[in-house]
Amino acid sequence: MRRHSRRTPAATAALAACALLLSACGAPDGGGDSDSAAGKVEGQVTFQTWNLKARFQKYFDGVVAEFEKKYPGTKVKWIDQPAEGYPQKLSADAAAGTLPDVVNVSPDLAYPLAKAGLALDIGTAAGKYRGEYLDGAWRSHEMPGLSGVYAFPWYLNTGPMFYNKDLFRKAGLDPAKPPTTYDRLFADALTMARKSDRRIAMLAGAPSIEDFGRYGVRLMDARGTEFTFNEPKGVELLTHYQQLYAAGALDAQALTAVAESAGRKFQQQSVAMNPGSALDLENFKRDAPDLYKNIGITDAVNNTGKANMYVQGLMVSADSKVKPAAVAFAHFVTDRRHQMAFAEQVAVFPSTKGSLDDPYFTKEDGTDATRVRVAAAKSLRTAVNYTPVVLSDQMKTVLRNAVARALQGKQSPKEALDSAVAECNRLLKTG
Amino acid sequence: MRNAAAAVAPRGSGRRRGIRTHLPTSPWLFLAPGLLVVGGFSLYPFLSTVAHSFTDARTLRAGRFTGGANYQEMLHDPMFWTGLRNSVLYVLGVVPPLVVLPLLLALLVRRSVPGIAFFRAAFYLPVVASVVVVGLIWVWLLDDRGLINALLEALGFGRARFLSDPWLLLLSAMAVTVWKGLGYYMIIYLAALAQVPRELHEACAVDGAGPVRRFLTVTVPAVRATMVLVAALSAVNAFKVFSEVYLMAGATGGPGGEDTTLVMLVQQAGTGLSGRVGYASALSVVVFVLTLGLMLLVLRANRGEDR
Repeated sequence: MRRHSRRTPAATAALAACALLLSACGAPDGGGDSDSAAGKVEGQVTFQTWNLKARFQKYFDGVVAEFEKKYPGTKVKWIDQPAEGYPQKLSADAAAGTLPDVVNVSPDLAYPLAKAGLALDIGTAAGKYRGEYLDGAWRSHEMPGLSGVYAFPWYLNTGPMFYNKDLFRKAGLDPAKPPTTYDRLFADALTMARKSDRRIAMLAGAPSIEDFGRYGVRLMDARGTEFTFNEPKGVELLTHYQQLYAAGALDAQALTAVAESAGRKFQQQSVAMNPGSALDLENFKRDAPDLYKNIGITDAVNNTGKANMYVQGLMVSADSKVKPAAVAFAHFVTDRRHQMAFAEQVAVFPSTKGSLDDPYFTKEDGTDATRVRVAAAKSLRTAVNYTPVVLSDQMKTVLRNAVARALQGKQSPKEALDSAVAECNRLLKTG
Repeated sequence: MRNAAAAVAPRGSGRRRGIRTHLPTSPWLFLAPGLLVVGGFSLYPFLSTVAHSFTDARTLRAGRFTGGANYQEMLHDPMFWTGLRNSVLYVLGVVPPLVVLPLLLALLVRRSVPGIAFFRAAFYLPVVASVVVVGLIWVWLLDDRGLINALLEALGFGRARFLSDPWLLLLSAMAVTVWKGLGYYMIIYLAALAQVPRELHEACAVDGAGPVRRFLTVTVPAVRATMVLVAALSAVNAFKVFSEVYLMAGATGGPGGEDTTLVMLVQQAGTGLSGRVGYASALSVVVFVLTLGLMLLVLRANRGEDR
């Protein structure tokens, strides 16, 4: 009797364990694997965005519901990743083979994925939609060394330059006439530093590759196989910045600053000019009301006649098991109607053809917000994305370090840029 | 009587036979789960890193065998030598204060006087604070417009470029590391001090020794082993420093990358979609070898003194 009673619990436990194992295995993920993006639009699509849920939950929930209604048999699972560490998260997913079906990317994130064969060629799979988008936007996801286009263009942005009218006035500079050329910018910067006894800098950031581009430096050769930003014009720009740094016109912490700290310096009113976006106006109004009253807005200077364009895109995973649905969804989110609706919610700009002609982007109503919007929309018509997609994080570090050595006077601008170009080209070739 | 003896004997012999049938490999069966965890999460990753260090692997691309190419590249990489210099300087700058200051703190808080608990808790507080939070707080304090510079200006000195001068930046990061580690090592010393025999202090006092002499002749020898432990722990952690420098110097490691440490170099080379996993693995192997050498050096120094 005792033996019998002892065996029963053990047997029960064993049976329970087997049951758990069986349920844990479960049915393997079904569904056929389709090689083509043509075909029936059905299945579950995973959609990943880049730090958008906090502010746009309602909008995206609406888009998802609308898509699921239009294509019965589809289900969209929306994932939002925080801004911090987004590339690392993407890298981990890509390496593990768990990329979502539709992924929010920028061109420089799409490039290594495309090169690794992980991004679907939209040009082949969905080339019929090309005419719906601005040509420049569609081409922003072309990758050097690869044929094809690797993401649908989504929203665009460009950065106005904010300046502090009060600081300008105190330095004897006309707040109604901010600098519109590099010569004026450099001269005014030196004046700002001198008049403030080096307490106020004009700029808070060291030049990045984008700054070299706007200055008119040829960043790469025509085929995109070699960096060339050490040409005389690049040396010229860096020489100017070195002079600003020595005079205190470039903030001392520019060498280690990230965008967030440069913005903080501007809000503290220890820096007179800072690039930003229309989103920043809301932040200024909320966080720095004294500054907001003195905010001036102007275009970032350039020697090329073209502003810098930031592009967001929606990439479709080449390994997606629901390619037709994924492509349909990516196109759905980025079509003219949805891009316009999204742009009206936040200060971004559609990449679809004809959208920038809408009165929303051409008519001012006297407020700062509309002035920024109209000016930005106008410059976006001819804007280009200066940052080469092949510029990896490590290359950006190489350039930043070289710039810092030049600004501190430890190397001449030419030596610094020569070494940066040599190193970037070496990294490019070993890629 | 015979029946009783017979009844006992079979049971006893049965137990003995049972015990004897245990296999010589039984202990390994008990160790198996632990060994699997260590093997799977420590040994395998380590061996994998060593293997990768001989390839040109990328984040999204398997590597091809390239022999010692990564190690050769390392020798010609100026950033490697900068990182090595900074990591060594970090050890030299951080270890002596962390061996001595926590001991002094421990002596101070050891006495039972009213209110001492507050100071014990206060000294330990940095240990439990997140290193990221601590780093950001110190960045704000050391900023050009931060509290410390405001104080310096109020006192008539000029502003110090704590966060933009490479040397000041490194020293500031060291100071934060020391400040953060004081409480942790203080606790270790408190435990060691509790083991010092009271009789030795009394005997020394009878001989007329004052507090300083008693400290040098009784306390220090008694906690020497603990000092070696603290030196080894803080040296290894200092050599592998990442968070403090990363937070204060930025992702590029300060102006021109001049404050980059070896571990920051591993992170810079190996992460991201274009990460150079092979090269980063080689850097990691070198960090491991140097760290091991550092520990052996500290332990050997101890043995030398004991002899």
